Amino acid sequence: MTPLVKVSGLSFSYGEDELISNMSFEVGSGDFLCVLGPNGSGKSTLLKLLTGFIKAGRGVVRVGGADASLAPAGLLARLLAYVPSETSTPYDFTVREMVLLGRTARAGFWRGYSSEDEAAAESALRETGIAALAGRSVNALSSGERQLAFIAQALAQETRLLLLDEPTSHLDLKYKADIMALLSGLSRRGMAVAAVLHEPALARLGCNKVLLLGRGGRYSFGPAVELLAPPRLAETYGLPADSPLLDK
Amino acid sequence: MGKNKAVILAALAAACLFSLAAGPAWLSDPSVILYLRLPRTLAALAVGAGLGLAGALFQGVLKNPLSDPYILGTSAGATAAAVFCFLAGIERTSPLFFAAVFCGAFGATFFSYWLARLAGRMSDAGLVLAGVAVSAFLSALVMLALSAARERSFSILYFVMGGLYTVEPEVVAVSGAIITVCAGLAFSRWRALDAMALGEEKAYHLGADPARERVIFFALACAATSAAVAIGGTIGFVGLMTPHMIRLITRPSARTMIPAAALGGAAILTAADAAGRVIFLPAEVPAGVIMALAGAPFFMWLLWRRAGAKQ
Repeated sequence: MTPLVKVSGLSFSYGEDELISNMSFEVGSGDFLCVLGPNGSGKSTLLKLLTGFIKAGRGVVRVGGADASLAPAGLLARLLAYVPSETSTPYDFTVREMVLLGRTARAGFWRGYSSEDEAAAESALRETGIAALAGRSVNALSSGERQLAFIAQALAQETRLLLLDEPTSHLDLKYKADIMALLSGLSRRGMAVAAVLHEPALARLGCNKVLLLGRGGRYSFGPAVELLAPPRLAETYGLPADSPLLDK
Repeated sequence: MGKNKAVILAALAAACLFSLAAGPAWLSDPSVILYLRLPRTLAALAVGAGLGLAGALFQGVLKNPLSDPYILGTSAGATAAAVFCFLAGIERTSPLFFAAVFCGAFGATFFSYWLARLAGRMSDAGLVLAGVAVSAFLSALVMLALSAARERSFSILYFVMGGLYTVEPEVVAVSGAIITVCAGLAFSRWRALDAMALGEEKAYHLGADPARERVIFFALACAATSAAVAIGGTIGFVGLMTPHMIRLITRPSARTMIPAAALGGAAILTAADAAGRVIFLPAEVPAGVIMALAGAPFFMWLLWRRAGAKQ
């Protein structure tokens, strides 16, 4: 089966410092990939290379068979959905309006929303548990509710691949657990999910694959059970092997 | 008809009636209304629609509620190009005049944008500062040119101040057509403008290429601004105030904002121009001065409100 993401020999550097070096990995349907690593190791940059937002890297990133550095934004938005770490707008869009914007690549720029678009938005609102907030302004939501609204927008894109950059940052434990359960459920239903996370403990809540990024472009990719072992994490983060932060 | 649409159309109708009636003879002389005030009212409607539309497009595509053709330097670029056309003897009805004014507007806007991005991540305040710097430089160039061309400088100075004293029907017709086409083209991409209002990165991931959309919406906003400047010179704050006032009564989506900002801008400027004719009768105050008197405090209030929101 063709992988949804296939990264071959990807390298990227800011100036002289190589951030990502000759990286290769694949993500397929039903995978839940967690990207972990210390600050500045290139986690967010990697996601932007996968989405084609940054096109300067060497090597090839294929998403649904399309070259991410060459494919137009409209095509990529039908292949993958991306939730940035923080999105804001000065304008008071309602949650429903925001979620419906997830249909941009399918509805085009001109026509109104079809019943299919409305149904996709309703389904995404229900899936994320925020249907009751549909009429509220996104600027009036709590951080956790807003994060769920942007995940709902991504789900309304109806793609088979979902990428998230630190979806649980700044959230309380309840929202962290809810979002990880939601993402885990999506991957069990066949969606490929890749999320940048800061906490290994969260990665243990459903991820089956892990990409560990270290300094200087070093990386490890493999099964979660292997890479989430405390000794591997201690080495990656530069922590003592017996650090309580690494306990299961 | 929705309640919000009715409010905007009622405001537009009231502004038109006020403009047709405003003046020493009020409504007693049909020929004055038909031959003097009606052309001026149509000119005010076109200028206001162009500036209101441009403000809505800039505020959406830049995700910056402080954006406006006056603040970004767009109007200053268009005015500078128009003044140099006047001094070079190019007629206002010439296609070359419209092309030059558009190039002035587009060049000044992109220069402000480029300046604001020099520091990396663009901030709302950085864009405003860049626009202020570009506007100041272009205004100085205009004043320098006017100082050198003394014999024609007085009539051109009135154009620079912004007003609708001399209305040329051909210019109003061409500008009105340009603004209508711009509004139609902008409306045909309303969802892309909404996506851009979430930021360039988010717009990209929703399927709208931000670099392309920026050029398209800048071009449409600059064309609408230059068409407005061709009629009435530099009139500020219509583009800033109109979208904010429209958002008080309707949804922020570009689908409603684009037509509402054009109609709302038309109503605001038509009322301002009429007010300028009657407040200090028999003297007349240019519409640009009336708008600055209302718009500058509005801009201060916006800055104050944003500063409060960040604390």
